[in-house]
Amino acid sequence: MVVLREGMCPGLDENVVRDLRAADIKTVEDLVSSDIEELALKCSLSYKTLFAIRRVLLAQHAAFPVSGADLYEELLSSTAILSTGNPSLDKLLDSGLYTGEITELSGGPGSGKSQVCFGVAVHVSYHLKQSVIYIDTTGGLTASRLLQMLQTETSNTEEQMEALQRIHIFRLFDVFSLLDCLYSLRSGRLQQASVGGGSVKAVIVDSVSAVISPVLGGKQNEGMSLMIQVAGALKTMAKDFNVAVLVTNHVTRSDNGEVRPGLGVSWSHIPRTRVLLERVEGAGSVSCSSFRSATLIKSSRQVLPMALILMPSAVLIPSEEFC
Amino acid sequence: MQRPVSSLGLSPSVKVKLVNSGLQFTADLLHLKPLQLSKDTGLSQQEALEVLQAVKTDGGGDEARGGRVPASLTALELLQQEEEMRSIVTFSSQLDAALGGGIPVGKSTEICGVPGVGKTQLCLQLSVDVQVPQSFGGVGGQVIYIDTEGSFLVQRVIDMATAAVKHCSLLVEDDEQRVAMTTFTIENILSNIFLVRCHDYVELLAELHLLPDFLSDHPKSRLLVIDSVACLFRQFDDLSLRTRLLHSLTQQLIAMATRHHIAVVITNQMTTRLRGSHSQLVPAFGESWGHAPTIRLLLQWAGSRRMVAIYKSPCQMDATIQYQITSEGFRDADQPEQSQSKRPRTHTDQ
Repeated sequence: MVVLREGMCPGLDENVVRDLRAADIKTVEDLVSSDIEELALKCSLSYKTLFAIRRVLLAQHAAFPVSGADLYEELLSSTAILSTGNPSLDKLLDSGLYTGEITELSGGPGSGKSQVCFGVAVHVSYHLKQSVIYIDTTGGLTASRLLQMLQTETSNTEEQMEALQRIHIFRLFDVFSLLDCLYSLRSGRLQQASVGGGSVKAVIVDSVSAVISPVLGGKQNEGMSLMIQVAGALKTMAKDFNVAVLVTNHVTRSDNGEVRPGLGVSWSHIPRTRVLLERVEGAGSVSCSSFRSATLIKSSRQVLPMALILMPSAVLIPSEEFC
Repeated sequence: MQRPVSSLGLSPSVKVKLVNSGLQFTADLLHLKPLQLSKDTGLSQQEALEVLQAVKTDGGGDEARGGRVPASLTALELLQQEEEMRSIVTFSSQLDAALGGGIPVGKSTEICGVPGVGKTQLCLQLSVDVQVPQSFGGVGGQVIYIDTEGSFLVQRVIDMATAAVKHCSLLVEDDEQRVAMTTFTIENILSNIFLVRCHDYVELLAELHLLPDFLSDHPKSRLLVIDSVACLFRQFDDLSLRTRLLHSLTQQLIAMATRHHIAVVITNQMTTRLRGSHSQLVPAFGESWGHAPTIRLLLQWAGSRRMVAIYKSPCQMDATIQYQITSEGFRDADQPEQSQSKRPRTHTDQ
């Protein structure tokens, strides 16, 4: 449904567009699906011109096939695997976060989603010396915690400051600002953010459910459309700019008390890899336990279900980073 | 990179009209004039103007046209901001230490607990504490207190304020503090608390829509208390509507906390969750609401002792601390009320 405009392709000048409009042909779709011969008679344009225009338009709007061999070569040259900084989590994810893909962390409150995000941000900015974009929608990002994590890596203040400067933070609290931000990143901000040293390798959205769930549900299905828009924007960004996208999601409880990621079935197709984080609870009480478990629930690489991997709460203990 | 029209923050009917006329991407709209657009799509001129404004601020996905740039900052800048903002002390030195200085400004904190364990007392205490002058290491701000249960007791506030004033007057060391003490009086403390009584959830939502203006008029506000959210939302027939309202409420609160640099404190009740044969007391509203607050404190009884547990926090470790509620307010448990010998420990925190 793209409007026909002059200059869209050779031969499509002002007069042709006007003539076509008179024949009620307004969009590319109209032109492509109409009978050219009839149309040529109707608006007294030459059959040859219309045929040429149609061919160019079809070529412009069609996708090109890519051979598997080329794809493989591209994969080898451009895909990077970013370590999360936590060896057991890396093992679960088949050595880390892949660029060009969306990875999702879901889990209940206090299950350590944000902590893993912080860990990834710090690891990428300090060890890999690359930039990170961190979109915080819950107000949970605390720079002092990032600093704390950095301090366990190095005691050099200058290096800590440099690493912090490579983490770019957006604090947005509704879905439209998130979309504004993603589109503006796609249209060039991403490269600008890299100026400070190192290219952007990871985009973290913590959490994607916080902005989507207020618009989801009810009689309007606009919420669903916005959710898919966000997903599409994230996916194209991951592919086009070769960044690893890490999102977090909340969890809901099904009728039989089982925990599963939120945002429903439609969203479950979006992330390539999903990890469920849980507190290992003490029996019968809300008492805090110091262990968290991570379970791989969707993956295109690993055999499922991947065994539970216990992460000591060291993720949360400032002094012993990620053991 | 083209941006679809449907991702703009416009009303759904406008977007449908645009897409039906073949205008799919913001780039298609850039060169159009309002009149022409309204003629092409059947939108009213006013709507057409709004559409074009929305596209213009977005820049049609084109950086060179000066599109709207969402504010970004680096972690280093955020760190500096955080260091400038102080936390609100709770007058329990152990809890302050566990929270890294107290209830943080610019974040939301949820206090959950069974009836009578001291949720409201802690809220009242915070309303007084937020006004401790800056020269004493406090925040020196004002409070907006949204009371939904009718549990705000002025008499208790006066008790706590008296104790806080007395406490600070014992600490006066230099002239600056002496000057600050002249305004840190019980009358001033009370006049800096703005109480809003909400009877149902519609009133609460309406109040929250008006709050950003109020906050701009009162730039010294540093604390927003909602006591309690649970009471308004627990009798609700349409559960999915409730979830949606709660989620948007959350986002509103956290946006306010970030933009106006206020601490948001909300209280929540407990509910029983049955799991097989055993039951468990958990905060109300279920799993997804649990993501709403940045920090979650659980107040609970352990025998006859009152305990507060940090259940969720992005920057502090889980911890459990004993406290007590005295006539003076929220205090450490092992601090004898009249003993002077132990006082200095709380002093260092102030």
